[in-house]
Amino acid sequence: MRVTQSMLSNNMLRNLNTSYGKLGKLQEQLYSGKKITRPSDDPVIAIKGMSYRTELDRTTQYKRNIGEANTWLDTTDDALGQAGEILNRVKELVVQAANDTNVVEDREKMQKEMEQLKRQLQDIANTQIGDKYIFSGTQTDKPLYVDGVPNPNIVPGTTGLDADIEIDVFEAVRINVNTPGKDMFEEIDNFMDTIITTLQTGTGEEIGELLGDIAAGTNDSLADIHGTLLKSRADVGARQNRVELMEQRLDLHEINVTKQMSMNEDTEYAATITELVTQESIHQAGLSVGAKIIQQTLVDFIR
Amino acid sequence: MRSTFMGLEINKSGLFLQQSALYTTGHNIANANTLGYSRQRVNMQALPGYPSPGLNSPKMPGHLGTGAEAHSVQRVRDEFIDRQYRQETNKLGYWEEQTKAIEQMEDILSEPSEFGINKSFDNFWQAMEDVVANSKDTAARQVLIAKARALAESFNYTDKQLKTVQSNLGAQIEADTNTVNSLLRQIAEINRQIMAVEPNGYVTNDLYDARDVLVDKLNEYLPVQVERVPSGGNASPVSEGSLTITYRPVGSAEPIILVHGKEFAEISINNASGKINGTEPLEPFTEMLVDWKGSALADIVPPIDKLNSGAVLAINESYDYSTFEPGKGKLLSNINSYGHSNGQGLYPEMLDKLDQLVETFVTTFNALHQSGYGLNDSTGQDFFEAGGLTAATIKVRDDILPEDIAASSELGEQGNNKNILDMAKSQTEVQVGLNGATYQGFFKSMIGDLGVRGEEAIRSEYNSGTLRLSVENKRAAMSSVSLDEEMTNMIMFQQAYNANARMITVVDETLDRIINGMGRVGL
Repeated sequence: MRVTQSMLSNNMLRNLNTSYGKLGKLQEQLYSGKKITRPSDDPVIAIKGMSYRTELDRTTQYKRNIGEANTWLDTTDDALGQAGEILNRVKELVVQAANDTNVVEDREKMQKEMEQLKRQLQDIANTQIGDKYIFSGTQTDKPLYVDGVPNPNIVPGTTGLDADIEIDVFEAVRINVNTPGKDMFEEIDNFMDTIITTLQTGTGEEIGELLGDIAAGTNDSLADIHGTLLKSRADVGARQNRVELMEQRLDLHEINVTKQMSMNEDTEYAATITELVTQESIHQAGLSVGAKIIQQTLVDFIR
Repeated sequence: MRSTFMGLEINKSGLFLQQSALYTTGHNIANANTLGYSRQRVNMQALPGYPSPGLNSPKMPGHLGTGAEAHSVQRVRDEFIDRQYRQETNKLGYWEEQTKAIEQMEDILSEPSEFGINKSFDNFWQAMEDVVANSKDTAARQVLIAKARALAESFNYTDKQLKTVQSNLGAQIEADTNTVNSLLRQIAEINRQIMAVEPNGYVTNDLYDARDVLVDKLNEYLPVQVERVPSGGNASPVSEGSLTITYRPVGSAEPIILVHGKEFAEISINNASGKINGTEPLEPFTEMLVDWKGSALADIVPPIDKLNSGAVLAINESYDYSTFEPGKGKLLSNINSYGHSNGQGLYPEMLDKLDQLVETFVTTFNALHQSGYGLNDSTGQDFFEAGGLTAATIKVRDDILPEDIAASSELGEQGNNKNILDMAKSQTEVQVGLNGATYQGFFKSMIGDLGVRGEEAIRSEYNSGTLRLSVENKRAAMSSVSLDEEMTNMIMFQQAYNANARMITVVDETLDRIINGMGRVGL
């Protein structure tokens, strides 16, 4: 076969071009830290990359949602804890009042304190996160009590007071973050009224019966109410546990997704740099061989 | 009886011949880097012997040689390799343009990235989850509206950019058409020159080369075949004649003629409203029109019978998309990208799918939104404008207020987030309108599809480039100038020239002996 100068230079040009292309690709991979920069580099990596990004964004969002769930549950827990404290104080007072050695003035003083405690319990029923009343079901704009009496705006039949508010914490996993408290606080409020009336009119024995140890089950008693409250609080506690567990799972998931995303699309520096060095030396060799071959013709030797 | 001065004549012819060969070598060296140049060689032949037969021919032994002459100067070229080269050029032209078109699309869609449509979707759903967690929070709602606007704008932007490129492709088609027409005209012009010169016995090597360059170039755009039509008169046997350029539409029995002799057709690439030139509306390609209106048909028709291929003259005939041979030529590639026959083609299909995605998304989302209640007890409202069902027109309602976002499933429940939970859930729900994919799943499959097409285009471009290079090398092995070879030839011809000169000196000395030295015995 005849081989001519133009063939050599054509071949050399194309090979140098290809070699430059490879160097460029490697350089791009090293600069960007990514194996690919466009879908056609590797469609599978591209699509996976898009999925991982979405997954990661969702995980971040779920973690944010969990922060919100924690705020709700922690606040609810605190509020119910405080309500428990107050009921303890109520119990103390009732026990004290049941003692018939008390004179009328003593019971009047206790009654005054009882009224304050009732208002405090109402305040707890109106606990807010931001501007949301957390015990009002989905009617978060409506306080349960206004000026010491049940909110007149909540007419019987108002929907949503016992509805749950749910938040997404994972794909297809929702946690209800609120504790609808209308019924419970109504019960407490009514019972406080009973105590106050009984303190005014009742005998020591009648007052003692309020504690619930004597005639349990016949009527509302302090013990029953305390029980209801504890049940609520236990429920909140259980959900707090669930959220905490979910948070750990999300952390793990985030790490996994990040790792997979990195394995999918990130440049493996050691391998890429090695490849770059190899490619560089191939390029060098190509250049110097090209320069040697191209310049020499018979012209250089005929004098 | 031989002539006294015959020896001088013999070597004079040798001198002239070697000189011609040297000059041709010089021409080759001068054109070593000329595009499309084929090396030329002088076809040498011996002159007829002496004596020539005849009644009065002298009786003498042998048939005495009388020297040499240049029979012709011919270029060294292989038509078969040219055909191979042009086939690969067809493919390379096609894939080069496809790669460019797909690359631009990839740049516009910029996936995977932190700012493409996919990311806008992610941001949108994130903002929605914030409203889920804080359904009463006006700020979170405001953010959701802003993210929704950003998502709509992503679609608007992508649509606009894609259409800009599509319109550029339209303009490119117009430019390609002009190039093809100009090439056809130039080939016809060279044909005309060749047809004027060849009957006189000359071989117009440099015109052939120039014409072949044009045919090579033409094949980048449109796959065409060539057929030689010999010139009449006293044409040399090594002359190549005029070229008839034919194009064979798929499904047609005979090729159609684009150039015949000095006459040429004009093609135009049309859509419903005339020539495609990239102006709105970007209507799809409908036909390629081959028109001979500029030529005197009477001049063309009769010689066509002489063609081997049985080509026909197509006067003002139109050829639709199905008549193009797939995968060949820049023109077809650009038509493919620009769009043809009812919304097919790279760009129209992508735009179509975006519209499909937007339509399903807006319709589904609005329906969900309508069924809920806003903070201000509004209900039955759209979130996106009901009319904006394409990527170009998708828009969040201008007058939507944060309070209007229908997060609640019940009237008057501010803390109720059931409806927005449903809306947020639609991120992972499959849609009938999207062939059973989620919104982002559908978009991802669009990108995947594009990536696969891009991968194929790049690979095909590289492969046809490699193949063409190997054919180009074959052609170069045949036709290109090797300086080493020319140098060797130069030495060869120079030495032959010198030897001829020496011969003349010898003859001169013998004549000197006869003329000046004879008949002078004893002097």
